Amino acid sequence: MDFGLLFSEFPSLTFDGIALGAIYALISLGYTLVYGVLRLINFAHSEVFMIGTFAALMASSNIMGVKIEDDPLSGGKLILTIVVCLVVAMLTSGIVAVLVEIVAYRRLRKRGATKLATLISAIGVSITLVEAFRIMTDSLPREFPRFFEKSLVAEIAGAQIRNDKLLVIFAAGLMMFVLDRFISKTRIGKGIRAVSQDEQTSVLMGININRVVTVTFLMGGLMAGAAAFFYVLVYENTSFRVGFFLGISAFTAAVLGGIGNIRGALVGGFALGLLEVYGSVLLGTAWKHVIAFTILVLVLLLKPTGLLGESIQQARV
Amino acid sequence: MKKVSSIVSAIALALGMTVALTPAANAACTGKLKIAYQGPLTGPEAALGLNELRGVQFAVKKSGLDIEVKEVDDQGDPAVAGPIAPSVPQDECVVALVGPAYSGASRVSLPVYLSAGLPIITPSATNPTLFDFGGKIFHRAVLTDDYQGPALARLITSKVKNAKVFLINDATDYSVGLAKLVDFTLGSRIVGKETTPQGTTDFTSTIAKIKKSKANVVAYTGYFSQAAVLVKQLRDSGSKAVFAAGDGVLDQQFVKLARKAAEGALLTAPAVPLEAANAKLAKEFKKVMGVDAGVYTTESYDAANFFIAAIKKGNKDRASILNYIKKNSHKGLSKTLKFDEKGEVAGVDVNGFVIKGGKIVLTGAIK
Repeated sequence: MDFGLLFSEFPSLTFDGIALGAIYALISLGYTLVYGVLRLINFAHSEVFMIGTFAALMASSNIMGVKIEDDPLSGGKLILTIVVCLVVAMLTSGIVAVLVEIVAYRRLRKRGATKLATLISAIGVSITLVEAFRIMTDSLPREFPRFFEKSLVAEIAGAQIRNDKLLVIFAAGLMMFVLDRFISKTRIGKGIRAVSQDEQTSVLMGININRVVTVTFLMGGLMAGAAAFFYVLVYENTSFRVGFFLGISAFTAAVLGGIGNIRGALVGGFALGLLEVYGSVLLGTAWKHVIAFTILVLVLLLKPTGLLGESIQQARV
Repeated sequence: MKKVSSIVSAIALALGMTVALTPAANAACTGKLKIAYQGPLTGPEAALGLNELRGVQFAVKKSGLDIEVKEVDDQGDPAVAGPIAPSVPQDECVVALVGPAYSGASRVSLPVYLSAGLPIITPSATNPTLFDFGGKIFHRAVLTDDYQGPALARLITSKVKNAKVFLINDATDYSVGLAKLVDFTLGSRIVGKETTPQGTTDFTSTIAKIKKSKANVVAYTGYFSQAAVLVKQLRDSGSKAVFAAGDGVLDQQFVKLARKAAEGALLTAPAVPLEAANAKLAKEFKKVMGVDAGVYTTESYDAANFFIAAIKKGNKDRASILNYIKKNSHKGLSKTLKFDEKGEVAGVDVNGFVIKGGKIVLTGAIK
């Protein structure tokens, strides 16, 4: 138990934990949105994220022509590259998420298949995508070019602020805000909330359920794609199995905050990011999952619906 | 009770199969001769298995002989290797096997191959006890774990003055074992220790600990993909500590992934990268196989070539090939393969490497 290190480095660790938590939060939104609407854990969501990382990679090398050995970019080209990679990753993940729904879930849903059958279908899609990418990448990790030099830009209250992580926190925060507005203000957003509250009644009220489901998957996919780009920007590599641990962590974050609850996913994501960083300093990195999951179990024992309670419509009406 | 009886019958069936297979082993082969490769070809360890498989395929392609390479995918997992091992010698055209890649899988496979008389050379299973399982059919083209840990420790102390070492393992069998030997050899020079399980991508807390310990060397005993992530984050944090690692990191992929952060890293291996052994051949390999050679490609290439040499001398069945590799030696790229009575190579060293200008440079044997 190294409390000394935890206290002396607390501000910096908190900053790093928030950056990690932002990525978790973006991925966990996909789990939570789909659960809110369909009451289904979309296990293929981690692969939607994984494909997003490869899309960002393709965008940087094939569209923007950035090579691994290139010097860091600057000025307009840097901003353009970041925007293009982000947009491509988001769109790819969004489309993949929608396709997963159409291929693997829609037919089952229409025929009234059990939740278990849908769950197996989700796991099947996940394994299929992982193995396909394993074969396509020769099981090798892929490196991501360095877009800009990573440097400490400021020191706030003793926290060392690194530029790439700061960018991730800001951009992720902006996206979460936009999503929150989208769900609470727009027509289709209201539709999503209505379906999550009562599917049958909302169908009777004239809501197109297929459209709502498609938009839900699209939103989750877009967020996962953004997370994927931020992930490769900070960690600079990816592989076919990148989704596994991150997916489990993000799923945990969703449950921790209250699955089905959008703000819960955000709270859960940041909480988990901080817990993992603090926990690994205290007991060693090997223990970080033990700490995070023990806390998850404790929270659920005391409050089974998670920190902020289940379901989308309760969070914000 | 029903469950118990079904288990019993399953075991009986499995035993029956093994017994039934054994005599078939000596029947003549009527088709193409086959050299098998066994290792992880799918699963999380597949990168290493594919490195080795390509080494074997490359050797066969270059030999000009009409030999088929039979792929045996054990995923590096004893639980997978157990059920599939009996099917390998069942095909009587399989006259030799390169592998198994991993020690755990070797333990369960070797007794099966021993009973079938199938000669094997493993390019990378480094557990010291394997002869006990494979007996006369067992040969190994690399040194065992007993040598590499102390060698890594000696490499660190010879290259870094007043070395203060922070030791990290990735919680796998290989990594923990190697870390123990490094720890034991370095003793009081170890100023901190940490376990970062495979799959860790965020090393924030580990780096905070490294900085606090004032270590000037970070020794990592895991594999290359995670090592690249670690060393990059270490450099981004401003640390200048020397990065040192074992054969799990000795792969061109490490340099590719870590780029500038890999510069100056010290590595050890009982293996020689193809690039360092023969740069021209490495280029040809890339051209023929479509990908770069990796760690243990050279050893697999050597092992396969020893078998090919035996076949070229007219040895076309398991017994005569086994006899040939026992009696002869083969001058390979990594070393001369000459096996002692326990199937081990003698008179070779663990090599030291340094990463310089984006290349893995052999610095020579570690004394």
